[in-house]
Amino acid sequence: MVHYLLGRFGQALAVLALTFTAAFLLLQVLPGDAIMIKFMAPEMALTPEQIADIRAAYGADLPLWERYLSTVGQFLTGNFGYSIQAGVPVSKLLLTNLPSTLLLASLGFTAALILTILLAAASNMTGMGWLRAGLQALPSLFISVPVFWLGIMLIQIFSFQLGLVSVISPGPVEKLVLPVMTLAIPISAPLAQILMRNIDQVLTQPFVAVARAKGASRSWVLWRHVARNALLPTLTIAGVLFGELLAGAVVTEAVFGLSGLGGLTYQAVGNHDTAVLQAIVVISALAFVTINLIVDLLYPVLDPRLGSKVGATA
Amino acid sequence: MSSETANGAGASLSADLPVGWVSRIKRLSPTLALAWTVVLIVLLWAVFPSAFTSYSGTEGVPGTQLRAPSEEHVLGTDGLGRDLYARIVYGARHSLTGAFVAVSVGLLLGTLLGLIAGARSGWLDAAIMRLVDSLLAVPSLLLSLSIIVILGFGTVNVAIAVGAVSIARFARLARSEVVRVRRSDYVEAAFGSGGTFWAVLYRHVLPNSLTSVIALAALQFGSAILAISTLGFLGYGAPPPTPEWGLLIAEGRNYLSRAWWLTAAPGLVVVLVVLSADRISKAIGRTEP
Amino acid sequence: MFQIQSRRFIIGAAASLATLSLAGLALGSGNAFAQAPVKGGVLIYLEQQPHDNLYPPAGGFYPNGGVLNQITDKLTYQNPKTLEIEPWIAESWTVNADATEFTFKIRPGVTFSDGTPLDANAVAKNFDTYGLGNKAQKLPISEVLTNYKGSEVVDPLTVKFFFSRPSVGFLQGTSVIGSGLVSLKTLSLPFEALGDATKIIGSGPFVVTNEVLGRELTMTARQDYAWGPKNLEHQGRAHLDGIKYVVTPEDSVRIGALLAGQAQVIRQVQAYDEKQVQSKGFIIYAPSTRGINNSIVFRPDNPLVSDVRVRRALLHATNTKEIVATLFSENYPQAKSIIASTAQGFVDNSGKLAYDPALAAKLLDEAGWTVGPRNLRQKDGKELVLTAYESLPQPQNKETLQLVAQQWAKVGVKLNVLAGDAGSRVADNLDPAKTPVAPAMVGRADPDVIRSQYYPTTRNVLLQKGGVSQKVQNFSDEKLNKLLEDIAVATDPVKRLALVGEVQAYVIDQGYAIPVFEEPQAFAASPRVKGFTFEAVGRPSFYSTWIAPK
Repeated sequence: MVHYLLGRFGQALAVLALTFTAAFLLLQVLPGDAIMIKFMAPEMALTPEQIADIRAAYGADLPLWERYLSTVGQFLTGNFGYSIQAGVPVSKLLLTNLPSTLLLASLGFTAALILTILLAAASNMTGMGWLRAGLQALPSLFISVPVFWLGIMLIQIFSFQLGLVSVISPGPVEKLVLPVMTLAIPISAPLAQILMRNIDQVLTQPFVAVARAKGASRSWVLWRHVARNALLPTLTIAGVLFGELLAGAVVTEAVFGLSGLGGLTYQAVGNHDTAVLQAIVVISALAFVTINLIVDLLYPVLDPRLGSKVGATA
Repeated sequence: MSSETANGAGASLSADLPVGWVSRIKRLSPTLALAWTVVLIVLLWAVFPSAFTSYSGTEGVPGTQLRAPSEEHVLGTDGLGRDLYARIVYGARHSLTGAFVAVSVGLLLGTLLGLIAGARSGWLDAAIMRLVDSLLAVPSLLLSLSIIVILGFGTVNVAIAVGAVSIARFARLARSEVVRVRRSDYVEAAFGSGGTFWAVLYRHVLPNSLTSVIALAALQFGSAILAISTLGFLGYGAPPPTPEWGLLIAEGRNYLSRAWWLTAAPGLVVVLVVLSADRISKAIGRTEP
Repeated sequence: MFQIQSRRFIIGAAASLATLSLAGLALGSGNAFAQAPVKGGVLIYLEQQPHDNLYPPAGGFYPNGGVLNQITDKLTYQNPKTLEIEPWIAESWTVNADATEFTFKIRPGVTFSDGTPLDANAVAKNFDTYGLGNKAQKLPISEVLTNYKGSEVVDPLTVKFFFSRPSVGFLQGTSVIGSGLVSLKTLSLPFEALGDATKIIGSGPFVVTNEVLGRELTMTARQDYAWGPKNLEHQGRAHLDGIKYVVTPEDSVRIGALLAGQAQVIRQVQAYDEKQVQSKGFIIYAPSTRGINNSIVFRPDNPLVSDVRVRRALLHATNTKEIVATLFSENYPQAKSIIASTAQGFVDNSGKLAYDPALAAKLLDEAGWTVGPRNLRQKDGKELVLTAYESLPQPQNKETLQLVAQQWAKVGVKLNVLAGDAGSRVADNLDPAKTPVAPAMVGRADPDVIRSQYYPTTRNVLLQKGGVSQKVQNFSDEKLNKLLEDIAVATDPVKRLALVGEVQAYVIDQGYAIPVFEEPQAFAASPRVKGFTFEAVGRPSFYSTWIAPK
């Protein structure tokens, strides 16, 4: 077990290092750089010499490997560098933007989970065939709508037509209602599809028939036996969904004019602000690795049958 | 548990194809038929756009801008006097090409990586899968946007950027399928009877692990259309006047308070196509034992 | 001396006033209504783009200027109706005969919002920074200050500025957004720290009290503000208690929020939304930017457009009337010259700008570009395919360029319109080989604007050699540059305006630019918003604004 833990941990570190390096190289290939974008805009009217000075001041004229090593060094000491576009340290940008996105993403994910379970439960409880079919088709519909379009429509309907929530100067809770809905609906779709499929699969298992034969009600069986077995695989893809959440946040934040990591990412790409992008990659890789590590470690705990198998797949 | 089922799949795929088709058509559910119809119409739009509309998909008639839907212009006209229906019809080619390229990139590269990783366990497997993990660890949108910035704007480049994101997903699925099939008795047997590694891979492993990969491809087709439209919304789409669906939705949204149909109509088309792709993907997935 | 100078200036202003048209411009100010202004309330203002840097000379970018105009005061005030220069922080001023020395008397008792005095020393430090730049802090030189030599603090309330060459434009230059006065502490910050609005300490009627970077800005009225422009009817503190700037990039959300009563004023209302907004009782404000018209410029360094005949052909192939009629409204007048008809020194050149596809075809034939297959013109095996990036801040620029592309296609020229990320756009726009064509506009109410637009070391829209771009091979127009230099140093206003007229004719004759329309800044406001005014080039001013009760 200790060996397994160490192995998983080592893999996580390898993924982190790999992601960091790949992202660094990718970002170096971006044409033009943040300094050029910010300081060579014609209205700045700087001379080429002034720009060369600025470049030297930021250390942008060093060779690639030197910049790589210094970036690695910086990150290891917790220094995320300096955003050329915003003119503030990256850590400050992250401090102001990360919490709101984390809140949005976690609320969005929670809402998606609730929606998923409600959908799956409703479609399994209902006796009516057409309603069941309709509910089962709902995730497909959710997955077919562009997120930005959904957001704009939700604003039009709930804010401008019905006047239920304000989007311009909302209260702290009001502010999150529509964005969380926008984020949760598309995220819930794959989760619901997997959960529904798993429930169907588990329902065909012999032990369910045995339980039913013993006189257990359908819903009791569902909660008692099926839910647990079906939730496990659902949990696995949760780790993969983190990236989707961030992508959803980019769009949601753009539509609703919220500040956060999504908007930061979008602007940083546009301005080729590599320091910011590198930090975002590191944070999301860290989150990805951690979530997957937790899911992997929880798996044998939640499902003792898998305890022996885990060692084999690692 | 996988050995018998995999065997069965192999048999039904190779021997009973004609019978399978007939019975499949007989069993075709109405929703699946509808899904195929949508796909067929859209494909026809892509191939013969001029058969469906007499208007141009890219050139407008100044003076006829922002007309409401009427007999003359079924879905109205946009800010430059271009017929929206014509733009949707002509856009089919761009959107479908984009989605096709995106899925191909993901399918080919992802499956190749997954296949190699699954077939060759050991350090190569570990290395490939860590690479795949790190692809997943980078936020997908950041990756897409950066690729577009590097490659430049255009239908194909946007498609590549979208496809690159799905490589990891295909690779993971392909690997797990290959591992499943590889452990089965008949593959062991094939190795045992002296088949070379690549021959066994090509003959036995590939065909038997492909079904779910193809189901994923159909599903990804829909998501690719959505992802391309999202990039269009963020200003990273194909250059104008390309009538790509995502761009139509994205550009139409600016006219929301004046002409809501400009964004609603292409939005509906995308929803229908993605729903159809999803339905077809499920149908393919179900044939999987 | 002051009187002589200001009378000379009036002559210049009057010349342009003759052609000044205020049609479509609703300057609804408080005095037009019998109602007494109501004090208090917070106004919600929706801005399309976040500000990027609030170093005052960077205020040309509209989102920057929209913030700076509320928080900084200027030495002088340019009356937006008469374009006359009036006292503000400077009570009076004198100028020597050859316009190389300017002396300003500062109004006593003015303070920055951090409590430090706005005196002669502070003013001198401001202009030294704007006029000379600061390398260590990466602060660039202001584009409105040329040939600036230095300053002298005569006494605590008198400051004198020196120029190496005559600089008539300087007086107006002290009134523009780029010459907003900030505290010494703000001036000591490096350029990149000035993106933070709370760091900008001005003496204006509002103070930035909170900022969510890139999203939201809260401004609070200064209770002790008592130094508004002298000739304004409203004096004392601002009527409003505060303003909330919310960056709302989505057009549909801005319009929807205004109509639903969630915001009171919004910027950048597209022409196609105007009717709908007005039909619901809301008011459209479209102040002119009085500068360079929304234009399409060529980069003659690129061999495809190095021939004047090609450029003139494309000028005549462009149907600006059709563009305005299709995409815009009466608030966007069709261009009659490269500068707006409300700008100083405007000369009507519409005769030279006529749409004439036959002439265009003839010119292209003469230049050796013959129609080849695919209906595209070619010469020596090269096709006449041009490329331009859309400019996001300009209204409906993507649509405008597409319509232009459609018009040029009729004479066999292809224009590719690129969308692009900010970075690639900046990089490619500096390379004439990649972008032979570019959209351009700039707003500033002084003839000097034409120099800063075309001169190589300033905005350099034609990409001449000698500017910041290293990609230019050899294009340089000495005649144009000489004319532009003369504008900057001309002391006689009449002669200066004559030079401005000459440049307009020259730029059009050379086919360097195709002016399309006179660009306004389009705002929409709730009918309850009163006293909403603009500075001379269309940046909002909320100093006299108040919100009428329901």
